[in-house]
Formats: sequence, C-alpha cells, structure tokens
Amino acid sequence: MRGVSELTDEKEIRIRPENVEFRRRIMEIPGAERLMLCYQCGSCTADCPVAMRVDEFRPRRIARLAAYGQKERLLEGDTVWLCAGCYTCYERCPEQVRVSEIVSALRKLALKEGIIHPTYKALMKSLAEIGYIYEIDDFQNEMREDEDLPPAPEPDTDEVEKIMRETGFLDLVEGG
Amino acid sequence: MRYAFFAGCTTLARLWGYEIATRKVAERLGVELLDMSGSSCCGTTYLETLDHKTGLAVAARNICIAEEMGLDIVTVCNGCTEVLTKANKELREDPGLRADVNEVLAEVGKEFRGTVEVKHFVRMLKDDIGLEKIQAEVSRPLKGLRVGAHYGCHMLKPSDVMLYDDPEVPTTLDELVDVTGAESIPYPNKLECCTGPIMGVREDVTWSVGLEKVETVKKYADVLVTACPFCYLTYERCQLMADESPEVPIVHYPQLLGLALGLDYNELGFDGNKIDASRLLDFMEV
Repeated sequence: MRGVSELTDEKEIRIRPENVEFRRRIMEIPGAERLMLCYQCGSCTADCPVAMRVDEFRPRRIARLAAYGQKERLLEGDTVWLCAGCYTCYERCPEQVRVSEIVSALRKLALKEGIIHPTYKALMKSLAEIGYIYEIDDFQNEMREDEDLPPAPEPDTDEVEKIMRETGFLDLVEGG
Repeated sequence: MRYAFFAGCTTLARLWGYEIATRKVAERLGVELLDMSGSSCCGTTYLETLDHKTGLAVAARNICIAEEMGLDIVTVCNGCTEVLTKANKELREDPGLRADVNEVLAEVGKEFRGTVEVKHFVRMLKDDIGLEKIQAEVSRPLKGLRVGAHYGCHMLKPSDVMLYDDPEVPTTLDELVDVTGAESIPYPNKLECCTGPIMGVREDVTWSVGLEKVETVKKYADVLVTACPFCYLTYERCQLMADESPEVPIVHYPQLLGLALGLDYNELGFDGNKIDASRLLDFMEV
C-alpha cells in the first residue's frame, strides 16, 4: 500500500476498501460506535485546551479522518498522543460522537500496529516492573518515615505483571 | 468512619505534603484511612486508553483489595478516582465484561465482586461528613483569604461515569473552600484542564497552560487550591520553570481545611510546597 508521502497531493483523500476496513475496526471499539454521526460542527476543536495551543491537534479533523479510515494520517506523528483526556469534547459533542473516545480507540489500534509513544511505553513498563509509574524505593520510604508517614504500600508486582502479560498487553508494549 | 485509602503513585512518591494534610484532616474529623496492602498504581488514564481489558483488570485488582477489607475507597487523585470509578461501574453493569476480567484476575487469585464504592476525598468530606459538621469543627476561619479553586477534570468527567456534581457548574470544592472561612472567587477559565497528561508528550504546552491559569488566578485571588496531584504539579512546576514566576502559592485542599480546623501550619506538610504558602498565616484569626 502506498503511504501518504507518496501521494502527489498530500491533501488528497480517497476512501479505499482498506480505509473502510480501518473505520470498521475503529467503530467496533467500545466508545467509538457513534463515529459516523459526526457532522463536523467543530465543537470539539473549539473547546479543546490543546487545540487552542497546538495547531497540529484538531479533534474535528481526527473525527473526519477516522470516518474516512485514514490510518496513516491518523497514526503518524503525535496526533493521537496529544489528547489530554479532559473530556470537554466528550461532554459537549451534540451527537455524542466523543472524539476523546475516538482518540482512545486509535491508541488501541496504534498499539496493535506496534506504535506507542515513548512516554506511554516507559510508564507502562514501569507499572509492570514496580507497580507504580514513579519509583518509590528505600530512599523515598526513609523520607516518608522522616515525615511520620507509613511506608508506601508495596505493590504485588508479580500479580500486576501477570495481569498485564495475561491479556497480551505487555508483549505489545515491549514490541512497540 | 473507615475507608480504604488509595493515595496513588504521584502523591506517594512526590507530594507528601498532600498525603500528610489528608491524613491529619481525616484524623481530626474522626475518619480512619486504612492503607491498602499490596495495592499498585490504579493503572492510569493512559493504560485505559491503550487497552480496555488490561486497564480494567489492573484497576479491579486494586478494588478487590478494598473489597477484601470490606471498605469503600477514598482517593486523593482525580486520575485514580476516574480510573477506579469507571472500572467499578463498567464491571458492575456488564456481566460479560466482568466474567472476562475475572478470568484474568483468577490468575492472581482475585475476584471482582462490586461491593465497594470509590470516592474522592473531597466528595467524602461533603457527602459523608457534611458541610455543617465540618463548619462546626472550624476553629480558625481563614477570613479574607481569596481562593481560586481548581477542580481538575476527572473529579467530574466523564459525567455519565462519575455521576457527581455538575461538570459545567460544579460547586463541591467551592463550598468546601467557603466552609474554611475563605472565599472561593470566580475567575475566567476556571474549569480548564491543566493538560498535565500531555506533559510527557509536549511539555511546553502544559507549562503554558499552567502559567495562563496561575497568572489569571493571581489577578483575582491569593492562592490556587487543587484537589489532584497532577494539577498541583502542573501549576507549581510551571512557575518554577518560568523566567519570571508569578509566585502564586498552590495549596492542596486538605492543607487549607487543616488550617481552618486549627491544625498547625507546620504539621500540614507545607514544607513540601515549593512556592512559599506562608502568606496563609496572615489570614488566620487567633
């Protein structure tokens, strides 16, 4: 399949069978079912705290590209990783399309393609290895003791890792 | 009143002041917070967007620990609150999903039963203790203090999951600020997200969002009060990184309440606040 960069006009969008298939995959993820009800009103972009400051992050555009199944355009760069998950678009979408959920579906599909943002990868590996996303070691616990705080709960890391392995998630993260 | 206390990674690792004040205020109000042995990170809002089932299973494993304790969960982080509340709700309402997740949990000897509630500390204060009772315990009202309250997104949203307060016109935190004798001041863009979750993707955006909020609050109020470690870190750190810091103290809500309840400034973990908050002392009636 030819990538976007090989197209003569980068703005050209065509809905080929593989695009229809990608749209189907998006819409079968819980939360993204209402994608095709988007009529491009732009409430999501207008109210998005990230879109107000980052030109490349356009929630309305994400909904449109998702409806057209434009996998390459959606999964390249930081697009799907720039959503802060504030749910403003979720709350205000007049059709309950909820771009936050479309983004969330796209992250799941990205991971299946072996794509994950390095920050997300590091956080998930940390969660599996130490049970927290930040290290809480002897030094931290000594400091906590100085503050009269009890030691931080010691996560059962075997259990956490086993869960993350059992679902196949950790293999995907490590492969990405 | 007893609860299973879920502090969450950020507070445990970095914001002891928040934890200290939360524990002190709870103790002062007769609330017992019991640590959850073996509990881990909630799973994070990141994980729930990457893999639904794994997110539910990691969250549910923590909920199971509280179920074994027979206690409702109290959280202090908006992220943990949302993640645990959503998992709890989905697994209670969808038997198929619950069976799927319980199959994974069985591998580690756990089973989600759906017997406990999850609530943020401020929700517990308002719903379970009540404003009147708290008011009656205030011995040192913070008269004249103007507070910019910041809710943070996940205490309220998604609203069909959190089912608490009004996501567009919330009042809980304002009422809890007012109960201390201080005044929660309206200010523009009060409900805007701190964008902390994209700190690791585009940190310049987070700092600029943070500074905008802090500079706005500075025009209207003396301090910014938060109820989430992520929001707190954004608004504190953006000032530490700024060429010219607005020097607006960021205060964890339980620190504010603790002062009003008569607890000493020095026992509320203020030494962990990197922007000096001692101006609060000017508003305390002795």
